[in-house]
Amino acid sequence: MNTKNIDFVQLFKYGAIISSILVLGSILLFSSKGLNYGVDFRGGVEIQVKFTNKVEIADLRKQLGDANIPVSQLQRIGQEEANEYLLKIQSENSDLNQISSDVNKTLGEQYGAGKFEILKNDIVGPKAGAQLRTSAFKALMWAVLAIMIYLGLRFDYKYAPGAIAALIHDSVIIIGVFVLTQKEFSLQIVAALLAIIGYSVNDTVVIYDRVREREVQNPGTPLSQSINQAIHETMSRTIMTSGTTLAVTLVMYFVGGPVIHDFFFAMSFGILIGTYSSVFIAVPMTVLTERLSSKA
Amino acid sequence: MEFSMARGWWFRFSLLTFLLLIALMGVAPTIFGFKEDSSFPVTKKINLGLDLQGGLYMVLGIDFEKVYRDEITNYSRKMVATLKDIGVESEIGTLINTDPQDPKHSIVISRATDLEAAKDKIREFYSYPLRLTEEEGTTLTYGMGRDFQREIEDSAVSKSIEVIRNRIDEFGVTEPEIVSQGSDRIVVQLPGVKDIDRAKELIGKTAKLEFRMVNDEVPGTLLNDVMDKVKKAGIEFKKGQRFSDYLKEVNTLVAADLPKGFEIAFAKTLNRENEITNLEPYLLENTSSLTGDELQEAVVRIDTQNNRPYVAMDFKPTGAKLFSDLTGNNIGKRMAIVLDGNVYSAPVINERIPGGSAQITLGRGDYEANMREARDLALVLRAGALPVELIFEEQRVVGPSLGADAIERAELAAIIGSFVVFAFMILYYKVSGVIAALTILVNVIFTLAILIGIDATLSLPGIAGIALTVGMAVDGNIIIYERIREELRLGLSPMEAVKTGFDRAFWTITDANITTALAGLCLLNFGTGPVRGFAVTLLIGICTTVYTSYFMSKILFERYMGKGSKKSISI
Repeated sequence: MNTKNIDFVQLFKYGAIISSILVLGSILLFSSKGLNYGVDFRGGVEIQVKFTNKVEIADLRKQLGDANIPVSQLQRIGQEEANEYLLKIQSENSDLNQISSDVNKTLGEQYGAGKFEILKNDIVGPKAGAQLRTSAFKALMWAVLAIMIYLGLRFDYKYAPGAIAALIHDSVIIIGVFVLTQKEFSLQIVAALLAIIGYSVNDTVVIYDRVREREVQNPGTPLSQSINQAIHETMSRTIMTSGTTLAVTLVMYFVGGPVIHDFFFAMSFGILIGTYSSVFIAVPMTVLTERLSSKA
Repeated sequence: MEFSMARGWWFRFSLLTFLLLIALMGVAPTIFGFKEDSSFPVTKKINLGLDLQGGLYMVLGIDFEKVYRDEITNYSRKMVATLKDIGVESEIGTLINTDPQDPKHSIVISRATDLEAAKDKIREFYSYPLRLTEEEGTTLTYGMGRDFQREIEDSAVSKSIEVIRNRIDEFGVTEPEIVSQGSDRIVVQLPGVKDIDRAKELIGKTAKLEFRMVNDEVPGTLLNDVMDKVKKAGIEFKKGQRFSDYLKEVNTLVAADLPKGFEIAFAKTLNRENEITNLEPYLLENTSSLTGDELQEAVVRIDTQNNRPYVAMDFKPTGAKLFSDLTGNNIGKRMAIVLDGNVYSAPVINERIPGGSAQITLGRGDYEANMREARDLALVLRAGALPVELIFEEQRVVGPSLGADAIERAELAAIIGSFVVFAFMILYYKVSGVIAALTILVNVIFTLAILIGIDATLSLPGIAGIALTVGMAVDGNIIIYERIREELRLGLSPMEAVKTGFDRAFWTITDANITTALAGLCLLNFGTGPVRGFAVTLLIGICTTVYTSYFMSKILFERYMGKGSKKSISI
């Protein structure tokens, strides 16, 4: 791909517009529709059960309802023949442990012991949920701060705002995608977000590194020219790396099974967004930061 | 410009070979599935996370506010007893719980003239745990020192871990992991455990055994009146509620109606399904005369008369003396045997019991169920009581078949993913691509070997971490190769291009990996179980990536470039 004559710094305007729309849209979605938090963050009970015989979802719902179990969500997992269901229970002020064993009891009474297998049973108390929420948020904040300081020390502080803007941009948009698809936002997704942040900064740093090299080699060249040159020179690397990593995450997404499905959904999406933001947001933004700081 | 076979090549090559051999030995048992008794020098296999082999993961919380309350109340009693020793009469005042983090308790000195003597004595005896916070007339209010609170916390956590470990050991689980997390949580991991409910019950039972005197002096109608009041206030035990919460509600409501120093406790009657069918109220002293700490042994026996199991307990010598005095001083009264706040039985004391043994008879009901309960009860009594009540905050159970399926699919995906990357690299970079593929393979071997070496647990997110490492490792190679290609285009000789490529790429690779590592460290810090697993593999992967993608590639490249000045390279 010949990117020699593309003026990335000029394109920043359009990138900024597109990204602003995406970010604002995500924030709007987040505040109107909200994330579909998993039990990790919201507290509750999540039980995945597989029956040996055919069980209709309506029948299962009725049986649990008759036993006064406050089921908030019941869904089938995988093929119909698998007879596998996921049920979620959200209940405040009651003993989640008790509810979980009530479910077990009801299933045993209605479908017979040994006719079903509990594949997964997660119980997260409201306190643990709140704790996980705050620590997830803290982890994200610390990551941002640590990366900012490192960039400041290793490069120059003019590079930090662009990288930070890009990584906030990435996380907000990924969260937006999760709001839009209403996929469950769990601890795993926070892990994915942090991995994406790391990945996106990785991309950005490789290009910054080249910008710095160009600046040292040709002092006096305008920054925007060095940036365009650096993006152009690293473009094949950017594409190759994103391509191979994306290939891995897509394979994991399609083949890796339901447990890691959402994780790699986030990862694949994040790699695309992360690559875009490195090239079109983080690096060109340096020009803006320099201009602003020289005015001040 | 000399690049090929640079100084120390043989040394670096030997080091690489040496490390690789060690790593291969480390991963061999895992990959080839050696048996424990195989003749291979290494037998340690990788620890699989609960999500991969099934099992139970729990986070237990400790309600320290309750611990503080109990502790300060306890100390107020101790102070009264200490003062009595020097002839100062005093009585227990009230608990002041305006700040649950720092509850206070007062004592009231009977004669104002004793006030200074009392304060001196308390200062002398309790200056470490207690501090005087308020003095009004003859009422002295004490709070706890922060150091002392911290000490209570630490000892509650470590004692709880010890007790849980004892119980689990008796229960028989291979490789349980019981560790503290933060200052007020305990994480318990039981891989491969089958009977989840029983394990949970065993761990969660506080097993606080107390012998408390029953107050039969009040008019018989008092308990009925009190229970009527409770019913009228709309307080009843609801299914799914925590029983201790119900008990607390009841006692708060009727505290004023009861004689001072006494509280309500219930004997539960359960049906076959473990549901409460009846609650019989008792009026008990709110302090225990003797506790389970004094127990020496607890075993299950069967009462031959009615064929019901019971738990027979023997006291330690000190406990036996206390028990003997207690029974001797209270002949004709009833003594309740209370376990975790519930009355099990309340026999009348007919005579002094000197031998130091007692028994708990289990409720009516199914023989099998009783027998199981008796066994578990004896077990928890032997293993010791938990110093505090533990609250189940988080629990994750993974069935073994879900784990097996997950690991199969993740393995398959990881293999296909790696294959795609290898194919891609070799097609695009030819011979250099083969070098890259080799370094990635070695990278994965190193990562696994380190995971095994540091006894880390490989969970599903961990496998994801390895997959991601493969992706990132490729990046290191790509950065170098693209740079070399660029330099070649600029007209440098292959030898110069390779040298420049490696030199320039070094800091790029380092910077890029350090920033990723920073995100990884934050994850590790934040980490609860599964997320931590991902962070650990990611961080290990970053270290091995820098070594293999840069240093190992360089070693192989130097070999590939040979001694002479190559005219072209396959890249």
